[in-house]
Amino acid sequence: MAFYEQHIHPKPTTFISKYIFSYDHKVIGKQFLWYGILGLGLGGIMALMIRWALAFPGEAFPLIGRFMFPETGGVIPPDTYAMLFTMHGTIMIFYAITPILIGAFGNFCIPLMIGCRDMAFPLMNMLSFWLAVLSAALLVGSLFTPLGAAAGGWTAYPTLSTLIGSPGVGQTLWAVAIFVLGISSTMGAINYITTVITLRAPGMGYFDMPLTIWGLWLTAILNAIFLPVLGAGGLLLVFDRVFGTQFFLAGAAATSGTGDPVLFQHVFWIFGHPEVYILILPAWGIVSDILSFFSRKPAFGAKATALSMTSITILSTLVYGHHMYTTQMSPLLTQTFMTLTMTISIPSAIFFANWLGTIWKGTIKFDTPMLFSLGVVFVFGLGGLTGLYLGTVTTDLYLHDTYFVVGHFHYTMAASVLFGSFAAIYFWMPKMFGKMLNETWGKIHFWLTMLGLNGVFFGMLFVGYAGMHRRLYDPFVYDFLQKLVPINTFITWSAILMGLSQIIFVVNFCYAVFWGKEETDPNPWKVGTLEWTIPSPAPHYNFAEIPVVKCGPHELGNPNLTTDRDFQYQTEELVEA
Amino acid sequence: MERTAILHSDSIEGKRLVSSIAMIVVLVSFSMLFASLFLGYSYFRITSPVWPPMGMEKVDLFFPTLSTFAIVLSSMTFMVFKAKYFGGGAVNKTMPWLVATIILGAGFMYTQFSLWADLKSRGFYASSGVFQSLVYSFTWIHAAHIVIALLTLLYLIPVTMNKECTISEENKVNNVGKFWHFLDVVWLLMYFIIFVI
Repeated sequence: MAFYEQHIHPKPTTFISKYIFSYDHKVIGKQFLWYGILGLGLGGIMALMIRWALAFPGEAFPLIGRFMFPETGGVIPPDTYAMLFTMHGTIMIFYAITPILIGAFGNFCIPLMIGCRDMAFPLMNMLSFWLAVLSAALLVGSLFTPLGAAAGGWTAYPTLSTLIGSPGVGQTLWAVAIFVLGISSTMGAINYITTVITLRAPGMGYFDMPLTIWGLWLTAILNAIFLPVLGAGGLLLVFDRVFGTQFFLAGAAATSGTGDPVLFQHVFWIFGHPEVYILILPAWGIVSDILSFFSRKPAFGAKATALSMTSITILSTLVYGHHMYTTQMSPLLTQTFMTLTMTISIPSAIFFANWLGTIWKGTIKFDTPMLFSLGVVFVFGLGGLTGLYLGTVTTDLYLHDTYFVVGHFHYTMAASVLFGSFAAIYFWMPKMFGKMLNETWGKIHFWLTMLGLNGVFFGMLFVGYAGMHRRLYDPFVYDFLQKLVPINTFITWSAILMGLSQIIFVVNFCYAVFWGKEETDPNPWKVGTLEWTIPSPAPHYNFAEIPVVKCGPHELGNPNLTTDRDFQYQTEELVEA
Repeated sequence: MERTAILHSDSIEGKRLVSSIAMIVVLVSFSMLFASLFLGYSYFRITSPVWPPMGMEKVDLFFPTLSTFAIVLSSMTFMVFKAKYFGGGAVNKTMPWLVATIILGAGFMYTQFSLWADLKSRGFYASSGVFQSLVYSFTWIHAAHIVIALLTLLYLIPVTMNKECTISEENKVNNVGKFWHFLDVVWLLMYFIIFVI
């Protein structure tokens, strides 16, 4: 139900107006995609360095080690190790996953899938991207400051992140970069929320929206509400570091008054727990749609899936305390947070069952997007189940800050979201660039990634259960961990396999974008959502005529449709309707 | 279908709705920023046996009260401006009220600077303790928003000079007004919570 007719910008003619400062949501989506893929590469190399230090302590990092750490002969020094895991987390969460799923596919899919010509505020969309670039420049720049980048972990807990823990300018730049990125994402969120509410094609009710849009929309709502909370925490951290305020100092650090480091943990996790769902909700939505498309069946209980995603969105705001069981919370609070956390498993189980119901007795086609979506079902199942142990107070007290936690959040946030991103890239590639990715290499990419990824993260669950703490430079100085050297070596070889198999993807992607000759069909996957009714790649201003939607996104052979195609719309009755 | 009728008929009403929906989201975001600060405040206040802690004195209410008068008056003058602007008043009838709002807003900033100077002269620095940190951080962050809001108010001058009042001008005046009233409300909360009680 489009509220108004959108202003049409003239078709850009110069390179700069077409590819650099573009108002077009499709170009901004592609910009975010490249930005995110670069972030994945940078964060991935950092991950490999961390794994190298854990498997082969005291050995030089191959190839680039001698250039990067000449003073130690190529061995990763301890302070650099701390910077590496901090920057790995920050880059992967804020500069790789967020731009790919929310930035790229949010921008690209929302207008196309709800049947409008662009976002509600194209200028704000462009500013959002360039603020994100500024933020990335600040963060990467912090690597080259005299004392190096932030090294207090991606959570930046005081007192590790105050002047006592990290005296360099790197941590300040980190906080400023996150603040700027927060502004950028909030601008994006304002845009997405308004677009989805006001610019849906005529006839498209909320439950006629594809589940991808549901996921992206709920994510945008969480972003708009909770990113400012992180912004406030970051601002206070900057004030502490630059203007000498006392919010997060305590004990001997504070000259008078009583600051409290735990306040930062509260503020961080009030944002941080919704952030987990900010990252995963778009992936859930995309997977729900793709499972239905490639099973050739309507999504089982699509309304229930949408509603359970909504209730998870609401619940996610109430459970942040489960990150802080070890901060001497009162038992009453820990039990409350535990109960609320366990409640999340109810809606999770509902949509998980709906996924299985969707593929049950379907005519499954194992194309690459479907493989990656099934991969999400598998790894998210594992990640979700391990979460139960961390949400329970009694087991969490033992597992807190071990590699079990690292394995758990990598299964949920890294593996699921990465697979969701790959599914989305393989699926929408023809609509974005007009070229298909090579299917054979896509399948090889999937299986190698799946093998490597499970080797890494399942191994992490084991070493964590055996008691290995996260963030240790050389855990094997402790006697009880020395027997874990072989399994850590196995994890590292798995990580190397996973890292190398991404080269297949990069080559496949770049080849298709720059040298691919083959033009694709407008609808290569034979699905019915609105974006597949227009030519590939999507033309300037998307729809020649705004479509009138007649049914939901996953319906096949609906009698309301007068055309012989299974699209969820038709343009023929535009005038009479 | 009822929904489809909206597409072509009421474009102006649609643009008004889009603008106000977006502004609601903007204000929710800003509210969460300030709500987080108030959360930090209550965290310290609840856990401290006496308030202000460490034998600190309360802040003298003279300058904060002046600020309150300035910003409340400016909200009122803006309301008069808006009523006259949408009433189709001539430029020389509406402009004085907008200018009065801007002057009162600048006056608010002046009282804030005076407050900071006064506090410093009493040896009340941001780094002296958590109470001082709270007072300064709240006022800094609020003042930074006021500066941005003053720039948007200045931007309304050419909008008002423009004779025609289309939906685009209407949205600008409405949204700047909402942001200004929002900052007024935040200041009132800060005044009572931090300075008075």
